[in-house]
Amino acid sequence: MNKEILLEVKNLKVEFGKSNKKFTAVNDVSFNIHKGETFGLVGESGSGKTTIGRAIIRINPAASGEIIYKGQTISGKIDKELDTELTRKIQMIFQDPMASLNERAKVDYIVSEGLYNLKNYGSEEDRKKKVEQALLDVGLLPEFASRFPHEFSGGQRQRIGIARVLVMEPELIIADEPISALDVSIRAQVINLLAELQKQKDLTYLFIAHDLSVVRFISDRIAVIYKGKIVELAETEKLFAHPLHPYTRSLLSAIPTPNPRVEKSKVIEIYQPDKEHYDYASNPPEWIEIEPGHFVLANEREFESYKKNFQS
Amino acid sequence: MINNEIVLSIEDLVIKFNLRGQELTAIRGASLTLYKGESLAIVGESGSGKSVFTKSFMGLLDANGRIESGSILYQGNDLAKYKTEDEWIKIRGKEIAMVFQDPMTSLNPLKKVGRQVQESIELHQNLKGEEAKKLAVEILNDVGISDPEIRYNQYPHEFSGGMRQRVVIAIAVACNPNILICDEPTTALDVTIQAQILQLLKNLQKKYRLTIIYITHDLGVVANVADRIAVMYAGDIIELGLSEEVFFDPKHPYTWALLSSLPQLGIKGEALYSIKGTPPNLFKEIKGDAFAPRNPHALKIDFEERPPYFEVSPTHKARTWLLDPRAPKVEPPLLIQKMKEMEVKRGEGIE
Amino acid sequence: MTSKKIINNMADNIDPSLFDFAEYDESKSELTGYSNYSFWRSTVQVFMKNKVAVALLILIVTVVLFTLVQPYLPNQKSPTKIYLDPNTGLQYRNVQPNDEFIFGTNSIGQDLWARLWSGTRTSLYIGVAVGIFEAIVGITIGALWGYVRKLDAIITEIYNVWDNIPSTVVLIILTYIMKPSIPTIIFAMCMTGWLQMARFVRNLILIIRDREYNLASRCLGTPTGRIITKNLLPYLVSVIMLRMALAIPAAIGNEVFLSYIGMGLPVDIPSLGNLINEGRALMMDPSQRYQLFFPAAVISVVTISFYVIGNVFADSADPRNHV
Repeated sequence: MNKEILLEVKNLKVEFGKSNKKFTAVNDVSFNIHKGETFGLVGESGSGKTTIGRAIIRINPAASGEIIYKGQTISGKIDKELDTELTRKIQMIFQDPMASLNERAKVDYIVSEGLYNLKNYGSEEDRKKKVEQALLDVGLLPEFASRFPHEFSGGQRQRIGIARVLVMEPELIIADEPISALDVSIRAQVINLLAELQKQKDLTYLFIAHDLSVVRFISDRIAVIYKGKIVELAETEKLFAHPLHPYTRSLLSAIPTPNPRVEKSKVIEIYQPDKEHYDYASNPPEWIEIEPGHFVLANEREFESYKKNFQS
Repeated sequence: MINNEIVLSIEDLVIKFNLRGQELTAIRGASLTLYKGESLAIVGESGSGKSVFTKSFMGLLDANGRIESGSILYQGNDLAKYKTEDEWIKIRGKEIAMVFQDPMTSLNPLKKVGRQVQESIELHQNLKGEEAKKLAVEILNDVGISDPEIRYNQYPHEFSGGMRQRVVIAIAVACNPNILICDEPTTALDVTIQAQILQLLKNLQKKYRLTIIYITHDLGVVANVADRIAVMYAGDIIELGLSEEVFFDPKHPYTWALLSSLPQLGIKGEALYSIKGTPPNLFKEIKGDAFAPRNPHALKIDFEERPPYFEVSPTHKARTWLLDPRAPKVEPPLLIQKMKEMEVKRGEGIE
Repeated sequence: MTSKKIINNMADNIDPSLFDFAEYDESKSELTGYSNYSFWRSTVQVFMKNKVAVALLILIVTVVLFTLVQPYLPNQKSPTKIYLDPNTGLQYRNVQPNDEFIFGTNSIGQDLWARLWSGTRTSLYIGVAVGIFEAIVGITIGALWGYVRKLDAIITEIYNVWDNIPSTVVLIILTYIMKPSIPTIIFAMCMTGWLQMARFVRNLILIIRDREYNLASRCLGTPTGRIITKNLLPYLVSVIMLRMALAIPAAIGNEVFLSYIGMGLPVDIPSLGNLINEGRALMMDPSQRYQLFFPAAVISVVTISFYVIGNVFADSADPRNHV
């Protein structure tokens, strides 16, 4: 995995609602994604993580800030050519396999939809071949193309969703909680599939989730987001070894472990922003790099205490 | 904690549904004993029948479902024989109450939250008016809602997801039930709230002397709350035992597969263990062990005869031919052994 | 008491070779035996279960076929010809139903039987034409209204203005300006009828437009037109069918109203509207009530049938009822 930067997000702000009742879902968020890596974005409901994904793929407009893909700005107004190119290069996998497929369309149409849009195929033969290949790539049988979504299980439907993305030959895939709605044993299948495809096709993932155990397994780097702001960013194992921000710590302490002795004696750390960050008004926090590659949102006072934790 | 008083006893329950002209057997002869004061977790994936199983204890099966055979014994009555609403009304709420998964849809959006709790009290506890209201406020406080007198007058949309689930629990507890069934109580909630809700349920269990059944597919939740675990697959309970027995000494290949596929056990860069294929079609009659087609350790007999329960200990049994003395010795997969080793190490580390 | 079937005595006659490992075939595990559910087949099945609806469907089909076949049957009279009594040379006015005139004659001597079936044909034709037109215009406008956010404000304004004008006033004005005839009546009814369908379609589209599968289509670059036709409209089938079914009796009702105020079709084009009108005029005379009875009976049958069939079909097309 090289360090070439594929996607840059700079001071992204996304708002919802009309002028006087605006709700800021994403507030001044910045991070980079390197080519070939799996970048995990973790947060709870309402944190803004899904909104970030949707802003990158241009479903939600950015209120301010920039999103830059391979050196080109892709936020705001862009011309048709760039738009078409991005449709191919950046794609999204959705959370709910029961809601993300068109029930009234055959799997063949669902997987080919992108091809039809971009006319990205030669003849009808060619298109059929691409669909077949995509289905095989995700571990489904080509004969499934003539069936309807309701004939399949949740895991299979999610794989159909992945097939329709693959057929576009993308570079960056935004996976928005792709396994949250699946059964436990099916999750492993889909995770393995995503890892396999990444190797085969040199893909880059933005993996949005709230389940830290999964994110830990699959991500190279993780960003933790709370109420629209990224509070900590580090390589996976570094984050788990030295979680600094109190929100990260509370999140980590709450991860369920499949060990009854550990679980029953577990103590959850509760995150109380007002108590922790009592001096933010007078001493606002900044995005500080505390060790190479490990960033945290902290003001000077907090930074000092984090440094001490580190050394101990 | 667990004394040996039996509070609910289910024997060989068979539940069928009429679906689009065909018959589906959702529960294929499940048996279970529930002891007073315990926390039992029923673990299974979608299609395992765990929700249907518990709904049958309260007469909440859909109109096209029916109990074909078997018994559900509660305080000397066989609930499986109940046919009329009048019979079930005596059970629902007052004896057995249920907390559903989605607090958004479990509450009446048009009624004040306090009223909904109070109604539950008035229906089941012989209190009315001011007395009922006082108790409602007390219960709201018990479930961790601050300023209960003020929040009594608020509507569900004024509460966050976690708070709403607390209200739902309050309504269930207000019935003063013997048994509380929690159907995926934390699946719709964030991880930090989840931990708090589970703690709340444990506290309430002590205070109100409840017996709780948790239905879930989340093994982390199970590890947190369960005294005993029943693992369900394709409408049957395939393993039953104390929490530590099932986690550290599982015997059924499905339990092995379930535990092995957890990401916590995964090694970065390698594939996670995953069970191939999908659960069986319950419209068809299943011959032998339902898990056999997906079981890499299947014996020929698994395709022929349904395995009976084999006892591993007085508290632990599993329905697999691998436990038959004539079966070849099969070691649990490496990941399961690894889990056990990790736990042993951790235990030593503490000492 | 529990089922700890600790089997020691169980079938010791189990063949020991059964305890060998079975072959594990991975690909077999991928095949699922899911039900071969077909949306339209289930819809028809549920519909067929409702005996009343099926009976009315058979009835209405019979009626429609009969109106088409009737002119070609032997011994049919012309609906417009004025019949004269061969004996007296006078018009056969207001003759009560007898062997020659099965439904009697009207006040100028025309055969009511022929007029009734001709009128039913005309009214059904108008109703169906209006229904189809309303559907096309209503769905198109409703879909754009609901899906394209930029058009929402404008179309809402147009709708509000148009909706506020009483439809009866519009009908009257249009028929007055354009002189009553079949095309003008169809046109006038369509002008007021599309509003309801558009509104229905728009509301439903607002509900489903942001479901994940539509977001997915947007991400894949699917143009608006195809999202509407392939993603959204298939979900609206049941509502659309219902509204179309109800449009037919509504059109007939409007036509009756117009005839009542003198704006209906001219008398030489028989329709249920002007038949009812003529019959109404003679209602007080008991011997002449037949002139009102027959057209009223036909209208009732048509209206009730379409209403019931439409509703039952809409319910059947709802996937939630496909048990």
